[in-house]
Amino acid sequence: MGKGYMGKLLIVDLSTKEFLEEEIPDKVYEEYLSGTGLGAYYLYHKIPVNADPLGPDNYIGFMSGLLTGTGSLFTGRWMVVGKSPLTGTWGDANCGGNFSPAIKQCGYDGILFKGISEKPVYLYIDAKTMELRDAADVWGTDAVEAEQMLIKRYSQKGKTPRVACIGQAGENCSLISGVCNDRGRIAARSGLGAVMGSKKLKALVLNGNKPIVPHNYDEMKRLSKTCNRWVNFQPPFVTGPATAYVGKLMRFLPHQLIMDGMLYKIFLRKWGTVSMNQLSVEIGDSPIKNWDGSSADWPVSHSKIVNPDVFTDCEIVKYHCYSCPLGCGGICSISGKFEETHKPEYETVICLGALCMNKDPDSIFYMNELLNRAGMDTISAGHTLAFAIECYENGIITKDDTDGIELTWGNTDAMIAMLQMMIDRKGIGDILADGVRVASHKIGKGTEKFAIHAGGQEPAAHDGRGDPGFAIHYSVEPTPGRHTIGAYLYYEMFQLWKKIKTLPVPKILYHKDTKYTVDDEKIHMAASCSKYMNIINGVGACMFGAFLGSTRTPLFDWLNAATGWNKTPEEIMEIGQRIQTIKQEFNVKHGIEPKNIKMPSRTIGHPLQTKGANKGRSVNLDRLMSEYWQYFGWDTETGKPTMETKQKLGIN
Amino acid sequence: MAYSIKDLCIGCEVCKRLCPVDAIYGEKENVQKIDETLCIDCGACGKICPKGAIYDNFGVQCEIVNRSKWDRPQFDLSKCTACLSCVDICPVQCLHVPDIEENEHERLLPYLPESNTCIGCGFCELKCPVEAITMVSA
Repeated sequence: MGKGYMGKLLIVDLSTKEFLEEEIPDKVYEEYLSGTGLGAYYLYHKIPVNADPLGPDNYIGFMSGLLTGTGSLFTGRWMVVGKSPLTGTWGDANCGGNFSPAIKQCGYDGILFKGISEKPVYLYIDAKTMELRDAADVWGTDAVEAEQMLIKRYSQKGKTPRVACIGQAGENCSLISGVCNDRGRIAARSGLGAVMGSKKLKALVLNGNKPIVPHNYDEMKRLSKTCNRWVNFQPPFVTGPATAYVGKLMRFLPHQLIMDGMLYKIFLRKWGTVSMNQLSVEIGDSPIKNWDGSSADWPVSHSKIVNPDVFTDCEIVKYHCYSCPLGCGGICSISGKFEETHKPEYETVICLGALCMNKDPDSIFYMNELLNRAGMDTISAGHTLAFAIECYENGIITKDDTDGIELTWGNTDAMIAMLQMMIDRKGIGDILADGVRVASHKIGKGTEKFAIHAGGQEPAAHDGRGDPGFAIHYSVEPTPGRHTIGAYLYYEMFQLWKKIKTLPVPKILYHKDTKYTVDDEKIHMAASCSKYMNIINGVGACMFGAFLGSTRTPLFDWLNAATGWNKTPEEIMEIGQRIQTIKQEFNVKHGIEPKNIKMPSRTIGHPLQTKGANKGRSVNLDRLMSEYWQYFGWDTETGKPTMETKQKLGIN
Repeated sequence: MAYSIKDLCIGCEVCKRLCPVDAIYGEKENVQKIDETLCIDCGACGKICPKGAIYDNFGVQCEIVNRSKWDRPQFDLSKCTACLSCVDICPVQCLHVPDIEENEHERLLPYLPESNTCIGCGFCELKCPVEAITMVSA
C-alpha cells in the first residue's frame, strides 16, 4: 500500500551539476502536505537571509501535489516555488496541464534547483537517466516552440515526455514572467520565470514511469465517482450575452443570495472563466481603466464584444487538465500569426481589455497567445500596460519615451507594440518588463499613484470594492496580490461549515451593505479561505474543483484515503494554518514588513467612486488586516507571527 | 517488490523485447534478470514467457496467456470524464485521443486504436477515477 506521496525531493545544483536525493520524513508530510506546503517548509530552511532572488542562493522548486495521480479528481496542478524577485516575498504559482503527475512519475514530490549554470541547460530525466543537457538550440525560442522541440526529441515508443519551460520573457529575467507547460499554460504569478531565467535553466523534460500508489484505491474511486456525479449535473443555461443582464439584475438588487458553487460550475463547464466577462463588470467585480474607472465606463455596449459565446464560438475542443472532469479550458482557433491559442481566461480578458479600455476582441486572443508563448503573466502585463497608458495620458511619459507609440486608452496597436517591447526588453519596454512597482520607481514623477500593486505584485481582475474579501487577501497573504486564495464569495462556495461545525454559516440572503462591516465572521471566513487554499495547493488541487463545496469535492476524505491518515477536517485545516504561518515567517526572515504590503487607496474606495457598481463603496482595510493577523496568532501591529504561535505550530 | 525471473528461463528474450521500461537484461540464451528499480509491475513479461519462468511481485508464478486473449480496456464513454488519467498512465501509450481537427466530440475522449499494442497491464482501469474502463479478455 502506498501513501500517495513519493517521499523524496530531488535537489539539483546548477553551479556544480550535482544531484542530491533527499528523503522526506512522513512527519513532514503530515505537517505540511506536499506541493506548496512542502516547498515552503524546505525553502524556509534552505534559502539564506537576504538571498538575491536572481542569484545563486535562491532556489526554484517544481512541486507536485500530494493527491496527484492517486485517483482523485481535480488534482492535477503543479506548483513552482521560490523567493519572488517581483515582491521579495515567498513566491509561488501553480498551473494545470499534464506536468504534475510527470514529477511524481520521476519518483519525486518536487524537483528543486539552486546555483546558476554557466550556460543554458535543461534537465532531462527518464527511468535510467538524470542529467543537465545543453540548451543552446532551444534558448531564445518561445515556450511553445521549446516544448514542441523537446517533446519531439525525447518521444519514444511508449512514452512522451512532459515539459515545463520558460519563454523569452523568463530568459530576459522579466520580473513578471512565469513558467509554461502544455503549449502555453503558465504558472504566471510571483515572477518565478525570471528565477529560472537567471539560473539559465530553460526547461525540465520529464519522462519517468514510477507508479503513484494511494493507500486505498477503492475508497479513492468511491469518492471520485460521487464527486463526478455533481460535475455531470449540467442543465441548460442562459446564453452568453444574457450573463450581462444577470449581472445587471444582481447589481440593482439591494440583497444578495449566497452563491452555491454548483452554479459557477455550470458556467465553467459551459464557457470556462470567460463566463464572467460581462457579469463581473456589472456587479463591480472587474477593475476598469486601471482601477480608476467603473462599470459606467465599460457598459454592456463595450463589454458585449467579449460576451462568453465569443469564446466558445471559436473553441475547437474543450481542454481538460490531468484528472479534471470539468474541462473549463479550451483550444480556440484564431486568425493571423497564430492558428490556435488556449482559450483566454477571464483575468486575461479584463486585464488586456477593460483595464486598458481596449475594445478589440481579436487583439485579446492575439495578446493572450503572444504572452503565453513569451511566458509573461497576462495579469501583470495588462496592469503594466494600463499603468503606462495612464502615465502617457498624464504627459509623464511621451512619444519620445515610447519610440513613437501613441500609448492612449484603447489604442490596441500601441498595446501590442508595447507588449512586444516588454518581451524583448527594448526601449521603455525594458522598464515595464519588471512590473508596475519597478517601473514607477524608475520613472518617478509621482507615477507611484498609477502603479496598482500589493507588495510589488499586480492584483488580479477582482475588485475589493465589490467583494472586500479580495482586498483582504491581496494585502495579507504571504504571496500578496493574489486572487486565488480567498474572498467572501469563495467562502460561500467552499462550504467549509458543512465539514467544520465551528465555522460561520453565511445567511442565505443578505444585504450587500453588510459585506462592508468588519466583524469576527468576516475574519473567520478570510482565515478559513487562506488555510483551505494551503491545503488545496498542498494536494495539487484546482480551486475550481473546490468551489463545488467541501462535501461534493471531498478533499479531506481523499487525503485520508490516499495517505492512510485518519485526520479530522479541523486537524487538516491546522496544517493550512501552519503552511500560512511558515510562509509569513519566510517573509519576515527576508526582511519584509507585512504592514507595508497593502492595496493602494484607489482600489479600496479612497476616494469613493461616484458612479457605477461600486459607487460609494470603501473597505476598512487596516482593521481587516489587523484582525486577520490576530486570528492567525500574528502580531496585530506588525503582522509578524508571534513566538507563541510558531512554537504551537512547531515552526523553528 | 518487482517481478523476478527464475532458472526455468531459456533466455529467449521475448520478455525483454516486450518490457515497456527496458527493465529486463541478460545475455541471450542465459537466464534473464529484472532491474527492480525499473520494473513497474505491468505483468507483460509474466504473460508472454513461454516457460513460466517469471514470478510476480507477490512471488506467485505467472500464468502464460495467449496474447490474443490478453485483457484489453473497454471504455464506457458515458462515464468518461475526459480527464485522460488513463492516457497518461499507459506505459506503452497505446491509448490515444483524436487529433483536435478530427475530433467529433465536445471533449477529447480516449480510445484504443490497435488492440495488439496493448500489453493488458490494466493500469488504465486502475487509474480511472470513475470506473469508466473495464479490462475485458478478447
